[in-house]
Amino acid sequence: MKKVVVEAKNISYSYGDFLAVKDVSFSLNSGEVLGFLGPNGAGKTTVIKMLTGQLEVQKGSIKIFGKRLKKEDSEIRKRIGVCFEEKNLYENMTARENLQFFAKLFGIQKYDFDKALKRVDLAGRADDRVGTFSKGMRQRLMIARTLLNTPDILFLDEPTSGLDPTSSQAIREIIREEMERGATVFLTTHDMHEADQLSHKVAFINEGEIVALDTPENLKVEHGKRSVKVRVRRGKKIETKTLSLEDEGVGEKIKSLVDSKKLLTIHTEESNLEDIFIKLTGRRLE
Amino acid sequence: MSSKRVLEIFLKDFKLGPRSPLFLFAIAIPLLLTFLIQVVFGDLFDPSPRLAVVDLGDSEITKEVKKLEGIDVTVLDDFDEMKDGVESHDFDAGFVLQENFDQMVRDEQRPELEFFISGESLASERIILSVTMIDLIRKVEGLDSPVEIEVVTFGEELAPMSERLVPLILFYALFVAGVFVKGMSIVEEKEKGTLRAILTTPTKMIEFVLAKGILGFVIAIIITFITLLLNNAIGNQPFALLLTLFVSVIMIIQIGIIFALLSKDVKALYTFVKSVGFVLFMPAVFYIWPDLPQWIAKIFPTYWMIDPIYKIGVEGLGLGDVWFELLIAFLIVLLLVPVVIFLSKRVERSLAM
Repeated sequence: MKKVVVEAKNISYSYGDFLAVKDVSFSLNSGEVLGFLGPNGAGKTTVIKMLTGQLEVQKGSIKIFGKRLKKEDSEIRKRIGVCFEEKNLYENMTARENLQFFAKLFGIQKYDFDKALKRVDLAGRADDRVGTFSKGMRQRLMIARTLLNTPDILFLDEPTSGLDPTSSQAIREIIREEMERGATVFLTTHDMHEADQLSHKVAFINEGEIVALDTPENLKVEHGKRSVKVRVRRGKKIETKTLSLEDEGVGEKIKSLVDSKKLLTIHTEESNLEDIFIKLTGRRLE
Repeated sequence: MSSKRVLEIFLKDFKLGPRSPLFLFAIAIPLLLTFLIQVVFGDLFDPSPRLAVVDLGDSEITKEVKKLEGIDVTVLDDFDEMKDGVESHDFDAGFVLQENFDQMVRDEQRPELEFFISGESLASERIILSVTMIDLIRKVEGLDSPVEIEVVTFGEELAPMSERLVPLILFYALFVAGVFVKGMSIVEEKEKGTLRAILTTPTKMIEFVLAKGILGFVIAIIITFITLLLNNAIGNQPFALLLTLFVSVIMIIQIGIIFALLSKDVKALYTFVKSVGFVLFMPAVFYIWPDLPQWIAKIFPTYWMIDPIYKIGVEGLGLGDVWFELLIAFLIVLLLVPVVIFLSKRVERSLAM
C-alpha cells in the first residue's frame, strides 16, 4: 500500500507584501511523480523551497514522511535530493570531486562515483573541471549529485530548462528510472510535454494558487475539448470539419458519414496540458 | 553539529586554495610586503658599508679595518678590480694603500691616498667609511682623536622604522588571511549558490561558518607567524606569543565573517573592504608615529588585538605586561559571537529567497 510521503496543507508564503504562495494544498504518495506546472513567477520555486526546508512555512503545515517539517532537519535532509534550477556546482573542482565532496556531507562512506558519472554520461569527463562543462553536462552532473544519497523524495526544479533535446531526454530517462526504483518525485517545470510524459499527477499553479490538480488524463477529460476532426470528400474537394461530441445527434452524423463512404479520416481532438492551462488561467506556460 | 562535516568543508577549501589565484596572492602579499619594507627600512637587506682595500704593502690599516664590526671589508690584489667593483656598486668605497704607506705616514711624508666612492652609495655610508679611514690613519700616525664625541639623544628614543612598521605588516597579514581570503570564500559560495546546495545536505549553516572560520584561522596563524619571524618579532616567550596570536586571529576571523555575511556578492565585499577596511588598520598609524596621542588608537577594537602581539613579539614583554590588553581583546571576541550567529541566521534566511 502506498504511503503519503509529502503532505502540504494550506501553505502560504509572502515576500514582504507580495503573497507568493496562497493556501496551497496537495499530497504525494510514495513512488508518485507530481508535475508542478506554472509560468515563471507563479510560485513553483517558493513551494519547493518550503518543501525542502529552505524557507520556513509562514502559514499552514508540511509533513514529510509523516513528520512535521522543521528547519535544518538533518534526518529529512538525508532522505531527500534537491536539484536546483541554478547550476550551483564548484567550477574549479572536477566532476568527481564535486560528487565526492557532497557524498562526504551526506556521510556516505562507500560510493561508486564512476558508475554514477557513467549513468549521466560523464564518465569520460570525470576528472575534468566543471568550469569547462557545457550547460547540459552541468545539469547532468547536478542530477548525479541529487541522486548521491539515493533519496526517497526528489525535488527537481526545472531539470531540463534550456537544455538540448538529447540532454533533456537523458534526464527524463533518469527520472523514469528513479520512479521505477520507488522514489517520489516533485517536479517543477513549465514544459507541459515533460509533465505529461512523466507525471502521475499534475498541479497547475498560477499567481501562487493551485488552479487544478489531477492526473493528466483526468485533466484532459475534465477540461479538454470533446470533439473529433473529420475529413470528407465533397466532389473533387476535401473538407475538414470539427464535430463536437457534446452536440445532439453527433453519433448519427458520424455514422452517416461512415456509411456514405465519403469519410476519409477521423481524429480525436484531445487537448494538451498547455491548452487546459490557458483555458483555466488565461496565461501561457512561458 | 557534526565536526566531520566541518572538517570536510574545511578540507575542501584548503585543497581548492592553491587553485585560486586570490588565495596565492593573499599568501604572497604579506611576505612581499615584509620583504619590501625590510629592504627600505629594515635589517634583512640593510648591508653594512662595503669597503674594498688594495694593499700593496703590509699596512696596519688593513689589519685594523678588518677587525671593525659593521663594515664589510674585501681585500683585493689589483687596482682595476677595485675600481670596477666601486663603479658597479659592488663596493661603496675603495682605496689603494701603497707600499710602506704606514712608514710614510709616520715619517710625515703625507702619502697620497685616493678614496674612490661609488656614485650609488648612500651618504651615510660614505660618511661612515671616510671617518673610519681618517681615524685609522691617525692611529697609524700615533695620534689621538682631536676631539671626544659624546652622543646625546634628545626626546624619547624611537624604535627603528622597521620595527614600527611591524604592526602595519601584521595587520595586513591578518586582514588578508582572516578577512579577505575567508570573506571571498564565503561570499563566492553565497553568490554561486553552492552554499544553498550544501544546506540541502544535512549540513547546518553554523557548521559552514565554522569551517570557513577554521580555514581563515589556519591561514592567518601561518601567515602571521611567518610575517613575525621574517620581521624578527617573535620575542622570547613563544607560549605568550601563541596565546595572543590565537585571540587576535579569532577576532579578525569574526570581523571577516561579519564582513562576508553582510556582503551580498563579491563586488559588495570589495566595496565593504575598501570603505571600512581602513578602520581596522588605523591603530598601525599610532605605532608608526608614536608622537600621536596614543589614546586615540585605543578607540579601535583592532588595537587590542595587535598591541599584545607587538609588546610580546617586538618589545619582548611577557603575558603579565599585556594581560589587560589581552582581556579586552578576549571580551571583544565574546561580544562578536552573538553578532556572527545572528548574521549567519539572517544569511540562511535570505539565501532561500
